[in-house]
Amino acid sequence: METVAVVDKLFAHYAAVLDAGNVAAWAELFDVESNYAVYTAADFERGLPLAYMLDDCHERILDRVKFVDEVWRGTVEPYRTRHIFQRTSLDTAEVDTYRVESNVLVAYTDANDVSALLCSGRTEDIIRIRDGEALFQQRKVLLDGTPARYLVYPV
Amino acid sequence: MSEFAGIQASVSRRFHDPATLPKEIFSDPEIYQEELKRIFYGRYWHPVAHRAELPELNSFKTAWLGEVPLLIHRGDDDEVRVFVNACAHRGALLEQRKCGKAKEFECPYHRWLFDTKGCFRGAPGRKDFRPDFRDEDFGLRTLRVEEYCGLIFVTLSDETEPLSEFLGEAGQPLADAMLDDGKLTLLGYQRVIYQSNWKIYIDNDPYHAPLLHAAFRLLDWQGGKGEMVTTDPEGHMCILYQVQQYKDNGFLKDPSVVQFKGSDDRARVIALRPVTGITKHIDTINIRFARPLGPDKTEVHYAFFGHESDDPEYAKHRVRQASNLLGPSGFISIEDAAIYQRVHATSGDCGYQRFVKGVGKERAEWTQNDEVSNTVWWEHYRSVMGFDKA
Repeated sequence: METVAVVDKLFAHYAAVLDAGNVAAWAELFDVESNYAVYTAADFERGLPLAYMLDDCHERILDRVKFVDEVWRGTVEPYRTRHIFQRTSLDTAEVDTYRVESNVLVAYTDANDVSALLCSGRTEDIIRIRDGEALFQQRKVLLDGTPARYLVYPV
Repeated sequence: MSEFAGIQASVSRRFHDPATLPKEIFSDPEIYQEELKRIFYGRYWHPVAHRAELPELNSFKTAWLGEVPLLIHRGDDDEVRVFVNACAHRGALLEQRKCGKAKEFECPYHRWLFDTKGCFRGAPGRKDFRPDFRDEDFGLRTLRVEEYCGLIFVTLSDETEPLSEFLGEAGQPLADAMLDDGKLTLLGYQRVIYQSNWKIYIDNDPYHAPLLHAAFRLLDWQGGKGEMVTTDPEGHMCILYQVQQYKDNGFLKDPSVVQFKGSDDRARVIALRPVTGITKHIDTINIRFARPLGPDKTEVHYAFFGHESDDPEYAKHRVRQASNLLGPSGFISIEDAAIYQRVHATSGDCGYQRFVKGVGKERAEWTQNDEVSNTVWWEHYRSVMGFDKA
């Protein structure tokens, strides 16, 4: 399978598992050495280091699953999502490793059955492909602005 | 009779004591408008920035006090001034960026120019202005400012007492949270809009902490015994306790993010009336600048800080912890976010919110996990809004 097709399959799977509420499956899309972070774009460009979510190692990614599935369940207000990714660039970083950028829109539907845009932004990813399977080594999400509500789930 | 007078009378008939709150005070638009006048534009001090957000001379930040746009500027002389962020001519928003550096401010509408002391400095067509035009009448509106441990407070009222009197006994816990000298460094922001009235947002009670937050139980993360300070008459609420080192019970694969790595074990949770939350917990320093957006929405900018003395390793730890712990999606505080909205969701049911734990005890017996301390603010609010006249 071509690189582009493998990457697009990863993106599609990423959206599908998050939209199904399967955060454990989301974590499985990250390599054993990987990181995940969500920033506000303007603050990030200004050099401020704080993130909205910062999982700077794979263990932290796995801990995020625990918080969503075990710690917060029943207290936070759940919502359905639809993640839409549009790949905007794909470049080779090193052997079997690619820098990929994409735009992202996330729609959400809350308990009142009202749908709206949760957030928009872009991603900067590093993706490794091995034996025809792609995994994230890095997913950095840069939000365009304030999300419509507090975020419970990864973007 | 004004529209507020009508609702004031009906609320007064239901608002007999500060432990029993008629829920319409959280949802009525007339009450909200009156709160803007009496509280946000009244005799209160409002934190609008920390000096760490203005890192250099001529740095500025924009913010809002209720519906009043603010331009907060650190001048060449190192003095922080706060102006109404509106051109003195036709009222266009003068500066639309969130932050930046500027040695003057030019309105794009008619190119009116103002210096960083707010003075009018010129405009095209000046010779044709009306005969009674005087430069000194067309400066930017300048607010009263006081500074405490780097925290910049403003008030719109000339009658507001000095800041030290307004803070009262909350001054020391606030200084503790600002690490005494206030020499903080800005790490960044997490911003959120809650579907909640501003009073529900700020009036989280101490009773809930070990009950709502499952993380405390699952992580076996026990808080130390603390002290409660509540001021009169505004009811600033301060919880003072000691950071307890997290003991790894195996729940987290990476417990380092919640560990205490500093040496200052003072923990402080402060609700500064009317609507500012300040927290120093473990190694995280957080100021929550809040702005009501109507009776049913509150925007909060969670600003996180380090200290100028932090070495690179500790600064990195602060960023890791601050990014994950106490923001709108933080390990602990996300549950507060949910509760603000779940409480507000019932504010139209004509019922009451009630405080019970600790109510009736002598003040000397109030404890860290009682909710009686919240009622000091509500007695004050009841009086300021004229709901005590029935």
